[in-house]
Amino acid sequence: MDNLEYLFAANVFVWGGIFYYLLRIKKYQQSLQNDLDLIKEAVEKGAQK
Amino acid sequence: MSVEKSEGSTILIWLTALAFLIGMAAIFIYVPTEQMEGAVQRIMYFHIPAAWLAFFSFFIVFACSILFLWKKEREWDIYALASAEIGVIFCSLVLITGPIWARPIWGAWWVWDARLTSTLILWLIYVSYLMLRYQTDVGSMRARFAAVLGIVGFLDIPFIHFSVLWWRTFHPPPKMISPEGLGAGMDPSMVTTLMLSLGAFTLLYFVLMGQRIKVERMKDEVERLKKDYLYSN
Repeated sequence: MDNLEYLFAANVFVWGGIFYYLLRIKKYQQSLQNDLDLIKEAVEKGAQK
Repeated sequence: MSVEKSEGSTILIWLTALAFLIGMAAIFIYVPTEQMEGAVQRIMYFHIPAAWLAFFSFFIVFACSILFLWKKEREWDIYALASAEIGVIFCSLVLITGPIWARPIWGAWWVWDARLTSTLILWLIYVSYLMLRYQTDVGSMRARFAAVLGIVGFLDIPFIHFSVLWWRTFHPPPKMISPEGLGAGMDPSMVTTLMLSLGAFTLLYFVLMGQRIKVERMKDEVERLKKDYLYSN
């Protein structure tokens, strides 16, 4: 009684879930960094005028 | 403000990776296959740590929500939100890995017993908490409502823990924390493997918390800059 396919499926979900969450954080971080860069650029342009 | 990795967080990430490497070696190489359940029993080394992490995360939500309501400081709100997200992820993994184990052992994916149903309720409570949070502006009443939900939701956890003792359930009784002692009735190699897995998952919690808190602080910074420089002109 091995049922290796169940063990494999559980592993896929666990690691998939962890990596999905890590990627989501990373994506959110990148989009915020882009926002920050845009704001910085806008402020600098405003200061030059 | 840019995203920079501190030396401490880099060390923590590497330590977590190492802990998982050792944990996986213990799960797949060191620990012997359980005689009755076979290889599928190894799912427990993911299922139990995921459950521990979900409960620990929700305890942090509970504690930080109380501190937020008391001190009204955004920092506690950030900790509560970050921990709730992690808690929901790991509670989802508990609700997925449990049925995967149950199918070959019980012959059913799901049964409506006290432990499973109360865990599903816990998951639903914190999913609602997050849904409420994603609509929340900083400092609004909704943040306070979410904090109250974060506190009330935690009350389900003692109920989940004792449900297998109070009622006759399909779910096995606690093996690690039992009245006979810590890990009593378990093979020492199984206890060691479970402890290694619990350690790795706990370290992962702190890595995820660190990253999520950083992002939430960045979000606050973007909002502040937008308000100060863009909307004022």
